[in-house]
Amino acid sequence: MMTILRPIIGLSSLVLAWALAVWLFNVPNYISPGPLGVAKAFGTNFTVLFKNFVPTAQAAIGGFLIGNFAAICIATVFVHWNRVREIYLPVAVFFNTIPIIALAPVLILIFGLGITSKIMVSAIVCFFPMLVNMIRGFQSVSPSELELMRVMSASRREVFFKLRLPRSVPFLFAALRISATASVIGAIVAEWIGAELGLGVLIIQTTFDYRTELLYAAIATSSLLALTMFTIVVAAETFIVRWRTS
Amino acid sequence: MSAIRVSGVDVTFTTASGPIKALSNIAIDIPRGQFCVLIGPSGCGKSTLLRVIADLQAPDRGEVQVFGGNPAEARHARRISFVFQEATLLPWRSVIDNVRLPLEVGKWKSVGRPNRDPGELLKLVGLSGRESAQPHQLSGGQRQRVAIARALVTRPDVLLMDEPFGALDEITRERLNDEMLKIWLDTGTTIVFVTHSLPEAAFLGQSVAVMAAHPGRMSQTINLEGEKPAGAIDRSSAKFFEITSDLRRHLETAEGMA
Repeated sequence: MMTILRPIIGLSSLVLAWALAVWLFNVPNYISPGPLGVAKAFGTNFTVLFKNFVPTAQAAIGGFLIGNFAAICIATVFVHWNRVREIYLPVAVFFNTIPIIALAPVLILIFGLGITSKIMVSAIVCFFPMLVNMIRGFQSVSPSELELMRVMSASRREVFFKLRLPRSVPFLFAALRISATASVIGAIVAEWIGAELGLGVLIIQTTFDYRTELLYAAIATSSLLALTMFTIVVAAETFIVRWRTS
Repeated sequence: MSAIRVSGVDVTFTTASGPIKALSNIAIDIPRGQFCVLIGPSGCGKSTLLRVIADLQAPDRGEVQVFGGNPAEARHARRISFVFQEATLLPWRSVIDNVRLPLEVGKWKSVGRPNRDPGELLKLVGLSGRESAQPHQLSGGQRQRVAIARALVTRPDVLLMDEPFGALDEITRERLNDEMLKIWLDTGTTIVFVTHSLPEAAFLGQSVAVMAAHPGRMSQTINLEGEKPAGAIDRSSAKFFEITSDLRRHLETAEGMA
């Protein structure tokens, strides 16, 4: 009970400090609204927020699924063919050094202003942490575990499914925690560069229009989306990973 | 008929500081059904020899036969089981599922040998009632018992054990030695057991092969078949003390050769 209560106390204290600062320094509404104003904006703009929430959520979830799935598949190839890993892993590392904000316009040029480019940007953000974690996860088997499998004449397929894959599960969830929030960042970045609808679009528009209360509400909504995805990952993890390493 | 025949085996490891001869001209003949203990100072290659027999390490030279064929054939026919120093249980599997693992891999069904019942085996190693426990809930000794049950589930013709009780306390080790001897008498399987404990070698071995280090080689094989009573020998008896002292002397001779 206290473990849930304590962060709530933490969050409430910050919101209170925010309200106090706005009131004390008489901050004008277009620079920063108070928490009450934002809460009110949630109510009056619910339809607008929801209409922009849906495409962002679709892009984030789509990118999350596609990016992670692709990374797991490629990590599987890398762990079975060392030569392929030696050739392509450095290339992947190189691509990861390109800032996503620099890559996003290119993807939008290729895939257009629709949801495809948003999903692609989100997927790329999710891809790399999962790739690196899964390679490490698949390789985290001990020499004696591999020897045990060899004495039992286990095939490569059996070694993968009975040993490497279960061993990699903690690494899988470590990467999923990262990409749960990163996928939302990717979707919003893509929407900044160019999109018709989405929380990223709403954030840009409300900033330029000084509709600060709606801006804050849009930020809170994107944070809520990321938090929901993160919570689902953590819940899945506690459900699946019941074993402990010694 | 011999279960394991090794002749003229050399194994050299290349390390950063040059090649190291782990095994030099090793010859040993282990009859079917024998409990053979390999003993020697650290670095004498006793574990390497075990790994050569299990086809985990290829020899640079020489010949290894397991039941007349090469070790790879014996391994594919699932006639070999190995128990490591660490239990190497898969932590996401329950105790009984760990014992079942050998039946799920390596084309076990096409081997055509009936397996032993995993539940019965857990009873044999004194772990009945712990079937659904997770490995992390067990003590080190219990984990090693599970590893032994797992090794026995395929009814192996050869059981290779690499210092299986090396990490356990003396009391647990003696109790597991008692049980190991019972299992051997019960199954009649050929066992090759590596240890650096003299009392363990004296208690378990029907024959004890003493090795010397640098390079790893055979020093002497001591046959204890006529020396000990059938079944377990009393650890406080004069005979046991005599055998242990005898082994110590052989080991010292082997070390003196280096």
